[in-house]
Amino acid sequence: MLYRVIDDQELPALVEAFMEDYEVIAPVRSGASYAFHHVDSFDQIELDYTTTITSLKKYVLPPKETLFTFDADANEVTDFSLTVRPRVIFGAHACDINALNSLDLVFEDSRYRDPYYEARREGLLIVGISCSPTETCFCHLMEADEARTGYDLFLQDIGGRYLVSIGSVTGANVLESACNPREATDEDRIAFRQATRKRQDSFNKDIPDVQEIAMLMDAFHSDPFWDELGSRCLACTACSSVCPTCYCFDIADVLDADGRTGRRERVWDACTSPQFAMVTGGHNFRDSNRNRVRHRMYHKLNGFLATHDRMLCTGCGRCVRACKAHISPIEVLKFFEEKGA
Amino acid sequence: MSETVSLHGKRPRVIIIGLASCFGCQLQITNMEPHLLELLDQIDLVHWQLASSDPLPEAFDIAVVEGAVTTKEALETLRKVRRRASAVITIGACAATAGIPGMASRDFDDQVESVYGAEVPVAAGSLVRPMAVSAVIPVDWEVRCCPIDPADFMMALQRFLTGSNRLAPTATLCGECKRNERGCFYGRGQLCLGLVTRSGCGARCPNLGRPCNGCAGVSPDANVAAARVLAEEAGVPAQRFDVALQLFNATNEDVCPSGAR
Repeated sequence: MLYRVIDDQELPALVEAFMEDYEVIAPVRSGASYAFHHVDSFDQIELDYTTTITSLKKYVLPPKETLFTFDADANEVTDFSLTVRPRVIFGAHACDINALNSLDLVFEDSRYRDPYYEARREGLLIVGISCSPTETCFCHLMEADEARTGYDLFLQDIGGRYLVSIGSVTGANVLESACNPREATDEDRIAFRQATRKRQDSFNKDIPDVQEIAMLMDAFHSDPFWDELGSRCLACTACSSVCPTCYCFDIADVLDADGRTGRRERVWDACTSPQFAMVTGGHNFRDSNRNRVRHRMYHKLNGFLATHDRMLCTGCGRCVRACKAHISPIEVLKFFEEKGA
Repeated sequence: MSETVSLHGKRPRVIIIGLASCFGCQLQITNMEPHLLELLDQIDLVHWQLASSDPLPEAFDIAVVEGAVTTKEALETLRKVRRRASAVITIGACAATAGIPGMASRDFDDQVESVYGAEVPVAAGSLVRPMAVSAVIPVDWEVRCCPIDPADFMMALQRFLTGSNRLAPTATLCGECKRNERGCFYGRGQLCLGLVTRSGCGARCPNLGRPCNGCAGVSPDANVAAARVLAEEAGVPAQRFDVALQLFNATNEDVCPSGAR
């Protein structure tokens, strides 16, 4: 990995350089919080943002997208075509880069390639940025606090300047063209060590560090804890709406007003939705909030690990904020701790 | 799963009638101007109460009903409609949940007396405690909200023209609201009924900065008990929550039990 150092005054030039060939998406203010949004100038960007309401998922898996259009009268389907505007995400936190890496494992699995996802993902550059944990962050417990792959540039704030990890040729070229990147000095390296140590020390210590989480999920599969958690669930699916790695979707045909032509749409779905596991004939394989909440936690903290060797939960803390019923992986970790784990 | 209306190659004969309501949902149909002709191309609109004083036709395929049941005459009309129609679609909150007229179901007799005095005028009909249409006859599809989204009405009609196995969603609203990337009214001391209200509208009121007032009705999968506790925790007294629920759920026994009336 190549490292260079740039001054913070060089950031506007870097963003402008990206704007020449890419749509720039960056964290902006949204009410009392933040959202990833299209920006037209560097001034709109809030690089010291805490976390956004929803994640970057929307740029690779939109909440609603047309898969193809059809003519019902002629019984014909039009060929799939998708024009993707090349984009750069400027200012992604490590947890969100890791989330995209997890989505890649699903949608770019060579056995079931998803051309819609791939097209959007291919046109996406990622510029990461270091951050300080909020009280709901637990990425370090999910091994998602460092982005090892999945970015073109990663900016580590080392006080008035950035240590830039260069992850791709495109990233290097834009950096070279817009800034005056210099070799890192010992002083830079020391500042980097201090910055990462400071971040590591800033995590909320009330969130317990539990070992063997996946194993414990199995061990406490039938514990009354899940009944209590389920009794609070509002069945609203806010958790999966904000989750950077909830990737389930539904597909439905929608007719145009003329009743002749229409489109096939893919929309986000959620395993916490009451009808998610309902099948023909009306049987529901997960017919209670308890079973649905438990299932979601299982996928985040156990199931994905078994197939992909990494936790699907990135510890970004969005569901912690979004769930009015205070249901989140943190509750599960606390439960394990109370059980003496 | 909705059955396609059997038409033998003909366009389905459709009637649109209104019971106790503001007629706003019928007006919403006229508001789909860009698509109105396309819609009329697919159906044979044989009766529209908003535009005609003719009696109900003898034969039709699809009945579109707006409004709540508040009179014996409405009960009769609905039974007649159900016998004649292959499919009954209701439009709007009044038809789906008894809506605003449903609020009169609490202390019904006292309410009638306070409005009309000792004698109810003949023009008001023979009043009965307000009810949702589905409390009187089986309903094939409900287009929810106050007022309806004309696009939802279009999709409802198309269910019976082409068939559809799509279910009415039962997840509550917050999930859709989060997709709009809005913050939450709770935590600002404001009450929002999205916690228990059926999704499907896209959370458009919260997206415009207004809390959900529950016009889609409480979801059958809502967790009202938990929502009351959470509202209380967020500084919204549960009693305020209960009162707010009455606006569109007054005749829902699970949500607004008559014991509390």
